[in-house]
Amino acid sequence: MTLLIASWIAVLLFGAWCVAVLDNLALALIERRSAAGALTAPLYGAAALLRQQQNRTEAPDLLNWKLAPALYLGLAAAGVAVVPLAPGDILADLQAGIVLWGAVEALTVVVVFLHGWSANSMLALIGAYRYVAIGLPVMLLSMFVLIAAALPAESLAVSAIVESQRSLWNVVRQPLGLPLFLLLGLSLSFRGPFNYADSADLAGGTAAEVSGASRLLWEFARLAMLAAVAAMASTVFLGGYLGPVLPGPLWLLLKTAALLIVLVAASHLFARLSPARMLTLLWVVLLPLAFVDLLWAGVVAL
Amino acid sequence: MVFWVFSAVAVVAGWRVFCTDSMVRASFLLLVSFIAVGAIMLLLNAPYLGFATIFMMGVEMMVMALFMVMFMMNPAGLNPMMMVHQHRFSIAAGAAAFVGLAIAIFTTGFPHDPVAAGRPVIHDLGRELLGPSMLIFESAGVTLLATMVASVILSSRSGRFGAADEGSVPPPLEPGGEPAGRRPDDEGGGHAHHHH
Repeated sequence: MTLLIASWIAVLLFGAWCVAVLDNLALALIERRSAAGALTAPLYGAAALLRQQQNRTEAPDLLNWKLAPALYLGLAAAGVAVVPLAPGDILADLQAGIVLWGAVEALTVVVVFLHGWSANSMLALIGAYRYVAIGLPVMLLSMFVLIAAALPAESLAVSAIVESQRSLWNVVRQPLGLPLFLLLGLSLSFRGPFNYADSADLAGGTAAEVSGASRLLWEFARLAMLAAVAAMASTVFLGGYLGPVLPGPLWLLLKTAALLIVLVAASHLFARLSPARMLTLLWVVLLPLAFVDLLWAGVVAL
Repeated sequence: MVFWVFSAVAVVAGWRVFCTDSMVRASFLLLVSFIAVGAIMLLLNAPYLGFATIFMMGVEMMVMALFMVMFMMNPAGLNPMMMVHQHRFSIAAGAAAFVGLAIAIFTTGFPHDPVAAGRPVIHDLGRELLGPSMLIFESAGVTLLATMVASVILSSRSGRFGAADEGSVPPPLEPGGEPAGRRPDDEGGGHAHHHH
């Protein structure tokens, strides 16, 4: 149990650091400059934020404003807790683990909204509303994809979903599932093509007025959330800890790292659509694709 | 002990919904109340219902807050406003509901046997809901979906300044006058008309 809790905390800390390093490496590669210092830059950046003073706005909703980063990190942590590291090694072995993940997704939209709303600042508020409009349909399509993944397992427990992939990984059985779920990862941590909450066009969006330790916690939670999604995606679609020769946790680590590379590359390479066009794309193209995925899974399961 | 903590959170948050002066705060206080109820369901060994309550209410309160702010013309929901109305009627309705539910609680015989460990409660719940009640569930689901689609169609076509599919035209500055603002050129835009 102690080992499980230690690895749970390590996944969040190490995962967030990995994403930050990957971001630096991707930018260095794209800009064709030296990647020297990529490993330590996130740590120096964190230290700089810790020394920075805390910003204040006029009449903010202080409770929600201060609480939102911690809640966001808590949601990422709750998501990681249902990921099995090896057969039987799971911090929260819940019968309805996949539904808990759904609750994490839904509450993330709420927390990001509250973060932007409570600052009592225009650009932060626009980021908050824009995020809700995009975040909700993305969450909706990920629900269909997850239900489809739970179908062959005939269970809502994450460990059962992994075991159901012993013969064939879900990524082969339901090829639409993984790409659609990865979109959720970009949306939950609002980066790249799905950065509608904290983007540069809103001078930082929901985090526009946030500085110092709160800002550090918020950015850390964003990185940890992406790591949580990658761990969940590798568990649900790539067989999680399943694999030959190497021990289970190592397989999970390798698959999660591979998905993180894909996610970070996608967040730096793809352009962001205007919110209205993205909304059309989500409701008219991607949501029906999620329906197809569910239907496909149902027919295969029959 | 844990049960009493969650009950207290549910009741206090539910009460605060009516004391706050902001629609957004009211929505999310209600969400806190529902999350506490969901946690109590988890304590009662109903994992699916507990998590589903938290998850559904998260989405629902978010959408509710958004729509209330949209329709109430209260920018951001941060402007103070009175959250209660029809005082006499609502006090009477609240008292009647409280008495009725209290009587229901005291006259109902609740089972005392705890759920055996390892019992597949989600499987049993699925059988219970989707066995003989499948038709009711499915028809309710399809009806709700049809209602949602219809309400989106009804609300999306009529824009603020007229039908959205004919292009919005702002109101005139004087009664019966020309619409205000710049009007797009009939000849396909551009700056061609400067040369005529």
